[in-house]
Amino acid sequence: MSVKLTKKTKDQAFWWWYNGNLTGFTHQHMQTFGFMCAMIPVIKELYKDDTHRLRSLKTYTPFFNTEPQIGSMVVGISVGLEEARANGHEEIDDEMINGIRAGLMGPLAGIGDSLIPGTYIPILLSIALGLSTDGSPLGAIFYAIVYIGTMTFFMKYIFDKGYELGGRAVDVVIGEQATAFRESMVMVGTIVIGSLAASWIGVSTALKFDLGTYYNAAGEQVANVLRLQDTLNGIFPNLLSLLTVLFTWYLMTKKKMSPITVMLILVVVALVGVLIGFFDPGLSY
Amino acid sequence: MEINIFQALLLAVMASLTSVIGALGTTYSWYTLSRPLVASLVVGLILGDVKTSIMVGAAIQVVYIALVTPGGTVSADLRAVSYIGIPLAVAAVKGAGLNPASAQGAGLAVSIGALVGTVGTVMFYSTATMNLIWQQIGWKAIDKLNYRIIYLTNFIFPLISHFVIAFLPTFFITYYGTDIVANLKEWLPMDGIPMKTMFTLGSLLPAVGIGILLKQVVQNPVDLIIFFFGFTLAAALKINLVGAAFVGAMIAFLNYKIIMVGAGKKSASHEEDL
Repeated sequence: MSVKLTKKTKDQAFWWWYNGNLTGFTHQHMQTFGFMCAMIPVIKELYKDDTHRLRSLKTYTPFFNTEPQIGSMVVGISVGLEEARANGHEEIDDEMINGIRAGLMGPLAGIGDSLIPGTYIPILLSIALGLSTDGSPLGAIFYAIVYIGTMTFFMKYIFDKGYELGGRAVDVVIGEQATAFRESMVMVGTIVIGSLAASWIGVSTALKFDLGTYYNAAGEQVANVLRLQDTLNGIFPNLLSLLTVLFTWYLMTKKKMSPITVMLILVVVALVGVLIGFFDPGLSY
Repeated sequence: MEINIFQALLLAVMASLTSVIGALGTTYSWYTLSRPLVASLVVGLILGDVKTSIMVGAAIQVVYIALVTPGGTVSADLRAVSYIGIPLAVAAVKGAGLNPASAQGAGLAVSIGALVGTVGTVMFYSTATMNLIWQQIGWKAIDKLNYRIIYLTNFIFPLISHFVIAFLPTFFITYYGTDIVANLKEWLPMDGIPMKTMFTLGSLLPAVGIGILLKQVVQNPVDLIIFFFGFTLAAALKINLVGAAFVGAMIAFLNYKIIMVGAGKKSASHEEDL
């Protein structure tokens, strides 16, 4: 006699994960409790006796942590495996389930982090910032609706894939087509971030050099002042902002500094720049 | 600008719910409600000044555009940036009589936001540490198959951590802090060194947000060319961000096609070998 999980139970597992993947976080057991909470309805439906329930609940007590949104696939896979185990597949034991869980969480975290907060969110936020330049709420509303909508759909999709295909579901995110898609997404992200940097960063210098006076075409004496900012803009618009970005990238990539250290260095740069007159916001009462 | 008790309470509730490990779930709290741009709309509604709040929030958002939290390391828990930083920045910008859309207004807002953001890091690690208490209770419940306690461990007990570590500080800082920052100009002249440094720092900090992102996507310095291309679209060609997204999408589409054609050839020649 085979047991088949009802749609309701699978949905419960998904939504418990969706709402609670990180809520009980500690550094000792990051998403372990979130994972267990998702599995409880499944375990309760598949097994009627406490011995089996306890055995299966304990399967999910080892450490678990990944990018939680793409990680809903692992929950889907586990639900599928647990169902198969309840149907008497002897080869599915704690070791196998946890082998898959532990084997997937690292690669999925890498892919998920670079794809979701590293690419998709910056693209959406850049567009949203473009919609909000004049203080309009449109950008915020756009981001909230599009992000939550697409992400919920994506999470449910890969959860279902995980349940249907088991371990083979991984091809959905690391197959040839998926890899090509991901690389292309990163490309859009990098281009959009370039535009964002040019539109939202405005590093400028107040430095100017007095070069004496000269006579203009009308024969009047005019002060000849060289404004460094104008010269720089002539070379490439917003050049200083570009250089500042490259400077922070260099410190973080080549010098392996943390963002906080880089921010502290910028505090020093700002202070020194103000003292020597390179930076001057030009405000007074 | 003054914040009343009711407004401070609402801000404190939002800060409690929107951590990366906050009570409202990853997708709609951490990745949506804690983003400074989205939060600025919520803060604007609470404070009754949506326009200023969004201008301030948008400027701060650029600094945190690409916040990735690998393996539970958090460089800034955005709830502090968003629900303490934005209200304080709004109060400071208004108090100093600056236009929030100006470079100086944005600079001041960004500096305050980033300064407050460091509080968020402390909040994150404290909450995670306090949750250890609840997990101790949870582990004992597993052997007894007490499902209710397991759910409480993951969903309800952590609210106590958030209350102590996020709710109370947010309430007090926003309630008493806005008065202090609103009178900033009385004790720090705008043409003095400290304020000039604040404005300048605010113009430099967004570069860190972009730098964090580049660090992830640029494996090889040659890849910087893609970034330069995007920068040029806006800086020299004056294409707006939505336009740049479409230009980027077109190029990515071509890139995808090229990779897939290459892949198709490879598998085709592979079949011939057989």
